[in-house]
Amino acid sequence: MQIPEIKSEYIWATLLILCYIIPGIFPLNTTFPDSATTTQIFNLIQNLPNNCTVVIGGSGVFAFDLESSAGTIPAIRQMAAKHIKILNVPLAVEAVQFEKYLIDAAKIETKYGGDYVYGRDWIQFPYLAGTPGSLVAFLNDIPGTCPTDVYGTPLSQLPLGKNLKDYKDIALWICPHWDFPTIVQYVTGERNITSVSFAQSAAYAQYGPYMTAYPGKVFMTNGFLGGAQYERLMGTNGLGHAVLDGEQIMGILFVVFVVLGNLTYFTRPKEVKKK
Amino acid sequence: MISMDFWVWVSAFFTICSFSLLYGDNILFRFGEYTFISIVIGHAVVVGLQTLYPMFYPLLNGTNLLLIIPLILGIMALFVAWRKYAWVASLPFAVIIGIGTGLTMRATITTDIIGSLRAIIQETGMIFIGTPGDQLGYLIRIVFSLGAIFYFFFTIFVKGRGSVTIGWLRTFGKYVLLIYLGISLGNSAMQFSGLATSAINRLLRLWLGFG
Repeated sequence: MQIPEIKSEYIWATLLILCYIIPGIFPLNTTFPDSATTTQIFNLIQNLPNNCTVVIGGSGVFAFDLESSAGTIPAIRQMAAKHIKILNVPLAVEAVQFEKYLIDAAKIETKYGGDYVYGRDWIQFPYLAGTPGSLVAFLNDIPGTCPTDVYGTPLSQLPLGKNLKDYKDIALWICPHWDFPTIVQYVTGERNITSVSFAQSAAYAQYGPYMTAYPGKVFMTNGFLGGAQYERLMGTNGLGHAVLDGEQIMGILFVVFVVLGNLTYFTRPKEVKKK
Repeated sequence: MISMDFWVWVSAFFTICSFSLLYGDNILFRFGEYTFISIVIGHAVVVGLQTLYPMFYPLLNGTNLLLIIPLILGIMALFVAWRKYAWVASLPFAVIIGIGTGLTMRATITTDIIGSLRAIIQETGMIFIGTPGDQLGYLIRIVFSLGAIFYFFFTIFVKGRGSVTIGWLRTFGKYVLLIYLGISLGNSAMQFSGLATSAINRLLRLWLGFG
C-alpha cells in the first residue's frame, strides 16, 4: 500500500487551524509540569537583598524575542516588587531596543513596580561594541566603559549610576539573549557572579550543559514552557500561558508527522527511493 | 472588538505578509521581507552611530584623552572600503582579532573544557548516590559524554588489535552525536512553532479582539 503525498499548503492549513487558531480563540488551558530549575531561579531572585543591582544583558536577539520575554517579564516584575535595581547592558545593536521593550512590557514604571523610576531604579546603557573585550572592560570598570547612559546623560548625574564601580556591584546577571556562553565564560566562570538565562528552546538544548559545569551558579529556563512555569510561580497569566496550548498540540503533531514520514519512506517503491 | 490602533494594523499586516509564504513565494511576502531587512539595517546603523557620543563622552569633555587612540583606530578601520589604502585597516583589525582571540581562548579553556571535565568527574561520583532514576540519568550522561569524546579522538581508522572494539565505540559516539543533533533540531522546531503561536495569538487577541 502506498501513502499518497499531501500538498504542503494543506498541512500548513491544518496546523494553522488546529494548533494556532482554535487554541487562540478557545483556550484549552492544558497542564504542564513544574521545573525544579525554574523554581530555583524564582527563589534565587526572591532571596536577593532588597536594593541590590541586577544586570539584564547579552547579545543575539530575534526581534522582540517572545520566547525569552515569557520568563524575563515576570522576573522583572518580581525584582521591581523587591526594589532591586536593574542595569540593561546591550552587547549587540538590537539588544538596546529589546531590553527597553522588556522594561516597557513588564510595566514596572506604571503598574507593577509602583514608583520605579528611570535613573534611580534602572538604567539603559548604550550598545557596547566589541564583545568579549567590551564585556570584560565593563565588568572591570563600569563608569570607565560606559561613561553615560543611552540618552547621553553622564552616569555621575544618575542616582543609580554614580555609585557603580565594577562587577562587585552586580548581584546577578540575567541573559535573555542567545549568546549565553559569553556571559557564563566572563561573568560566572571568571568573576563568580550567578547567571540566569531565560533561554529559547533551541538555546536551552545547546547550552544546558553549563548548568552541570557550574551547579548552583548557572540556571536556565526552557523557552515558553519555562516562561509559563515562571508565570505560575508569580501567580500570573502571560505570554507563556498564551502560547502553551498551541505548543502542546504541536508537540503531538510532530510525533504524528515523524511516524507518517517514516511510513511514507518505507512504503515507497525502491525506484522512487533511488531517484 | 477589532483594534483601532494604527500600529496594531501595521503589525497585523506584516504578520500576514510573513505567513503568506506558507502558500508559496509571493509579492506580499517579498514586501514584508525587504521592509524588515531594511529596517534592521537602518536601525543597526543608527544605533551604532548614536553609540559614538556616549562612548567618547570622556574624550569630548577632556577627562580621558587616551580615548583618542580607539577613535583613531576606528577611523583607520573605515579604510577597508577603499581598496588602495585598505592596508591601513590591518592594524585596527589585528588589535581587535588579537584581543578577542586572547580573551576567548582563556575563557573557553577555563569554562568549556575544564568546566565540562570537572562536571563529568563530579557526576561520576554521583552515580552511586541518590534515587535509581537520578543514578541512571548520571550514568547516561557520563557514558554519552565519554562516547562523544571517544568519537572525536578516534576519527582515524585503527588497524590491528583492538580495532573492532574501537570501531564499535566510535559508532556509539556517532549515535550519541546524532541523538544530540536530534534533540537540538526538535527544540529548534518547537522554538519556531512557539514564535508562530505567539504571532497568531497577537493577531487574534490584539487585532481581532478574541479572548
